[in-house]
Amino acid sequence: MSDILFALRAELRGIFADRQVRLIILAALVIYALVYPYPYRAELLRDVPVVLVDLDRSTSSAELARRVNASEAVALSHDAPDMIAAIRLVQERRAYGVLVIPEGFERGLLRGSQSPVALYADASYFLMYQRVMQGAAVPLRQMGAEVEMGRLISQGTAPDVALSQVSPAVQVEVPLFNPAAGYATYVLPAAFVLILQQTMLMGLALVATRRGRGRGHPVWRILGRMVAWVALYALLLPVYLIVLPAFYGLPHLGNVTALLMLGLPFVLATGLLAQCLAAVFRRGEVVQVVLLALGLPFFFLSGFAWPVEAIPAHLNALAQIIPSTPAIDGIVRVSQMGATLPEIAHRLWHLWALVGVFAAVALWLEQSAGRAGHEAEEDAVPANRPR
Amino acid sequence: MWAVMLREFRLILRRPALLGLVIVLPVVMLITLTGIFRAGIPTGMAVVVVDLDRSDLSRSITRMLDAAPEITVREQALSLSEARAQIVADQARGAVYLPQGLERDIIRGARPEIVIFYDNQHMSAGSMVARGARGAIDTALAGLRLSIRQGQGEAPVQAMARIQPIPLQAHALFNPAFDYVHFLLSALVPTVLQIIAAAATAYAISLDFGPGRHPQVLARMAGGVLPAMLGKILPYTLLFLLILGLSDIALYGWLAVPLRGSLLLMATGAVLFVLSAQLIGAAAFVLTRDMGRAASIIAVITAPAFGFMGLGFPREAMSQLAQAWGAVIPGTWYVQLRIDQSLRDTPLDISVWSVVWLACIAFALGALVLLRLVRLRGEIEAMK
Repeated sequence: MSDILFALRAELRGIFADRQVRLIILAALVIYALVYPYPYRAELLRDVPVVLVDLDRSTSSAELARRVNASEAVALSHDAPDMIAAIRLVQERRAYGVLVIPEGFERGLLRGSQSPVALYADASYFLMYQRVMQGAAVPLRQMGAEVEMGRLISQGTAPDVALSQVSPAVQVEVPLFNPAAGYATYVLPAAFVLILQQTMLMGLALVATRRGRGRGHPVWRILGRMVAWVALYALLLPVYLIVLPAFYGLPHLGNVTALLMLGLPFVLATGLLAQCLAAVFRRGEVVQVVLLALGLPFFFLSGFAWPVEAIPAHLNALAQIIPSTPAIDGIVRVSQMGATLPEIAHRLWHLWALVGVFAAVALWLEQSAGRAGHEAEEDAVPANRPR
Repeated sequence: MWAVMLREFRLILRRPALLGLVIVLPVVMLITLTGIFRAGIPTGMAVVVVDLDRSDLSRSITRMLDAAPEITVREQALSLSEARAQIVADQARGAVYLPQGLERDIIRGARPEIVIFYDNQHMSAGSMVARGARGAIDTALAGLRLSIRQGQGEAPVQAMARIQPIPLQAHALFNPAFDYVHFLLSALVPTVLQIIAAAATAYAISLDFGPGRHPQVLARMAGGVLPAMLGKILPYTLLFLLILGLSDIALYGWLAVPLRGSLLLMATGAVLFVLSAQLIGAAAFVLTRDMGRAASIIAVITAPAFGFMGLGFPREAMSQLAQAWGAVIPGTWYVQLRIDQSLRDTPLDISVWSVVWLACIAFALGALVLLRLVRLRGEIEAMK
């Protein structure tokens, strides 16, 4: 018992007495939490600028342009005489799409034939492309339906029959969760989990590389450290997962118990992984650089922003070793989608399995380090000196 | 300076930590990122159908849904709440609700509602599922409208034209194959490289200029503090450019991302980008003279940089301050240059501004490092 307490105190001292570790674990919280979400504060894309190339210059083409302009997603911000001038505006990033109404548009409508319209959306930006398509497609479809109905009615079809012939069923799309399609609401809950993991890995691995030799059996030593992490992150985890999301006004559906139930194995698995990483890389500076570079790949491997369905199976299998993979999924489902514990049970078991595996590896490393003991330390010191 | 550079190359080969950071880490990162995005746009995402009608029509809609490349109809759910539970529990990404009496109501002209539910918390997957389902239902309903018109005696071609008086011809500008994936990859590579270049440079400098080290030896070897610093930095510039070049050969050669613009401009941009990223690391170190604090500065600047580049959420929609912060990060301009010169075939007179900005950033960072070195020179030369 006293060995556990000793290890606990040593770990907490390692965290709080070391300026650099303090900087990573505490100051990074403030900096990352403010800097990272900053680009997404605007949440929604409204009135994406689109160039209008109206070659028909008729009443009908003006009506079509008016309707597209009225949509929330796009605004017809520029007029261009031809495609060349329009494309130039897009290349300058002053617009993200071109709507071309060809000559003869109105004539076609009056004659009862087809009057096609062309839309060029900038596909080098996924979100812009989507918004431009959305913004133009809905009013176009509406106008088309009205034209078709008008023709049917003029042929003598009753208006209600014409309507049901033009659109036999009403299509409704209901976004579940994040109904406003806010970008911050989408990306931040997952990003906070990743930031938590990366700063924790960096900080605790740094403590591990700078630790002197411990006291007592390795099991007690590791157990003591685990208690220390839980004590510290009992404060920090709610800040990341509850306070920050509330600060950014993100919706929160989940129950706190389920969140904490997931948080416990996540903190333990991450802390134990930090011990393993410290043993592999041995030098604090190296661990830090490696973890810095790994952040982005970890995020995409978690299957959140980039769907698992598109990640190759072997990479996905590898990704399951990273605590953030099950943690991001589980925590987002609980906090944003209101999942209950049984619904994310597989994530919970997954995290506890990681705790078991990393604990075994950390224990083995601790034991072999203890056995190699003095020699290893002798070895490590001169390696730090310039030759 | 040459002597210091040669010594640095030998140092990289001798030190596993340095070798790992400069060569192994970037290569592993590039392979991993390529692996994630190689497969392309996701397909076969699970959707549940809540079919309360169980008619020929509802079955044909279900078949259409299953035929959409984005989605696979995983199973049927008996109620909406069951479907919702499956979405929450990660068994499906969306649900399509076909109400009771669907076929009968359509024939009667009562215009029943078909509802698509999709998981918008996982926005990228959710929007793809919604698009696939929308397309499939549109196709099914268009078939229905066609058969009504044909039943009234219209010829198929004529009926086809009649149900769509204003057809929309949608074109994906600059990216006709809508190959978003490789595009993303070509932007992620510099982002990760920016982190590694800054951090590895700072680390390498710390090995000679850190506390307890002997920079005066190096300065004597190179004939001054400044050449010594240059000799430390330039070997890594070459290495990172080599890695960037190799990854570009893979990207534009093997993965066949289009390369339409000026290679010269791309190359100039690459050199300025790598130098600026390294100078971030160098400046962070000479300002703090402590690798730990330098790493924290580098982390704050380079780790969230991806968001500020505007690949997910576009820069134009960000606040002024966020745009300004993005503008001082070299990666923002370099990624923009790559996109301009590879996909968009942007005219040089527009694209050259990215390079000008990169040059300004490199110059400003260089000046910062220089100023700091001038102040440190006396201190270093006084060391014995």
